[in-house]
Amino acid sequence: MKQENTRIAVTETLMELASKDPEIVLVCSDSLLVIKAKPYVDKYPQRFIDVGIAEQNAVCCAAGLASCGLIPFVATYAGFITMRACEQVRTFVAYPGLNVKMIGANGGIAAGEREGVTHQFFEDLGILRTIPGITIVVPADAGQVREAVKAVAYTAGPAYIRIGSGRDPVVFEKPLRFELGKVRILREQGTDVALFANGFILPRVLAAAEELSLQGIQATVVEVHTLKPLDVETITEVLSKTGAAVTAEDHNIIGGLGSALAEVIAEHRPVPLVRVGLRDIYPRSGRPEKLLDYYNMGVSDIVAAARKAIQKKAKR
Amino acid sequence: MSDRIKELTETARLVRQDVVRMIHLAGDGHPGPSLSVVDILTALYFGTMRIDPKNPKWPERDRCILSKGHACPALYAILARLGFFSLDELPGLRSLESMLQGHPDMNKTPGIDTTSGSLGNGISIGLGMALAGRIKNRKYYTYVITGDGELEEGVVWEAMMAAKHYRLGRLITIIDNNEMQSGGPVDKISGLYPLLPKLQAFGWHCQEIDGHSFVEILDSIKQAQAEEERPSVILAHTVKGQGVPFMIGDNSWHKRVPTEGELKEAIRALGGDR
Repeated sequence: MKQENTRIAVTETLMELASKDPEIVLVCSDSLLVIKAKPYVDKYPQRFIDVGIAEQNAVCCAAGLASCGLIPFVATYAGFITMRACEQVRTFVAYPGLNVKMIGANGGIAAGEREGVTHQFFEDLGILRTIPGITIVVPADAGQVREAVKAVAYTAGPAYIRIGSGRDPVVFEKPLRFELGKVRILREQGTDVALFANGFILPRVLAAAEELSLQGIQATVVEVHTLKPLDVETITEVLSKTGAAVTAEDHNIIGGLGSALAEVIAEHRPVPLVRVGLRDIYPRSGRPEKLLDYYNMGVSDIVAAARKAIQKKAKR
Repeated sequence: MSDRIKELTETARLVRQDVVRMIHLAGDGHPGPSLSVVDILTALYFGTMRIDPKNPKWPERDRCILSKGHACPALYAILARLGFFSLDELPGLRSLESMLQGHPDMNKTPGIDTTSGSLGNGISIGLGMALAGRIKNRKYYTYVITGDGELEEGVVWEAMMAAKHYRLGRLITIIDNNEMQSGGPVDKISGLYPLLPKLQAFGWHCQEIDGHSFVEILDSIKQAQAEEERPSVILAHTVKGQGVPFMIGDNSWHKRVPTEGELKEAIRALGGDR
């Protein structure tokens, strides 16, 4: 599968923004090489700040920068922002609503670069989702990361974008328009079941939809790239049509897309739901595709989940 | 005593009265740590900082971060006396309708530069503000007021390393060194002391002063401003509960509400209604 590096996508987009906007600042915590930011640093040394291996300091520093009118992007590994510096994110960025943009690399177990649990981050979205006031974006590939970076840069307030390992599959061959806060319906071939997904697992979901189609089951595929604010209206419309739902995400089964959908389903449109994701356990090191298969996020798992959801629908 | 020092002394006396009254009315708050920092804040806001109460968000203004956010009654009283908002707001402290939150909120209270209250983060936010001044080519100073107990937080030293690295001469930290924290004396709880050699080792411009002497506070700030290559720290020795004798040496006043009788006694000790 063709790949494009989501980290380079961030840096290149920041350079593009910085060339037009003197307010753009990049803040790293010795993560310069993680996001391949050398070209940015060479071009905009005055607007690059490296606080050292100190994520809490990076986040507070960004809060200080933002409170003086700048637009800081803090970029490092997803877990070091959302866990090590969680309270700084909550109290000093989200609570005052400051214009700090956070970029979290290695989002999900597949993006963990075979480093093991310390560098596989599958709790980031759940943690941030419980904090009021943060826009959360989970783009599917590098092209969408570019769009997401531009979109959050000029949407006031805190935002988080989840990116990958650098070996990230290309999902969309052509650039697609990105609308923050709206879901994207990728495939609407029938109303048997809706498959909701986001991030780098999306190609698997599309493959599962193909497979289901061969089995005579027509699935609608919905990309929920903006996890917060959630497009409840469109999601509810889709649920009304399909009457059954599956979520697929490279995240712990608790707190992420599956939980968000469960909340919408319970309150707005009760339908059977089957969630595909990491089943509340710690994964191992491994090659990304193998890992996803091993931890029940394979195409066959998504297909099985869809059949199960449809079965539950029939029993109602 | 010069007229200027006399004025500051009188302002601080009134602010201390405000503090005990506010906490009495609110039925909640931290009198001890508010009283120890009054002279430092008064010297800054009435004697040093370039600010405009009519334009609280003036981009060129000096910034002040009260990292020890629980001492906010002192800051609120000062901001009200400067005209950022009405003195009538002070009795509302910590009540649902009030602009005066239990800990400072930069969006609710005019004149508050930074939301604070979670300890240890002030220097790090100050780092960002001072860097922003450099990036935007503005000449303001960033002042950070911390307690000594909160220096036990790791992020403090992360920020000190970075501020030294970036040679932030316009970042000035004042430590309200009252030697007490919530659970008791600092030296009974941690290995923080001796503090001065630690600050020196982190490469900051260091001074040690009496935090209740306006002459020393103002002079040390002047010297800190003159240092352009290094961030500055002023270790200001203070007394928790300063001005109210029955609160001094009794750490229950870290967070405690004076009764009607205690309030009267405190106001009397603070010179009553002159």
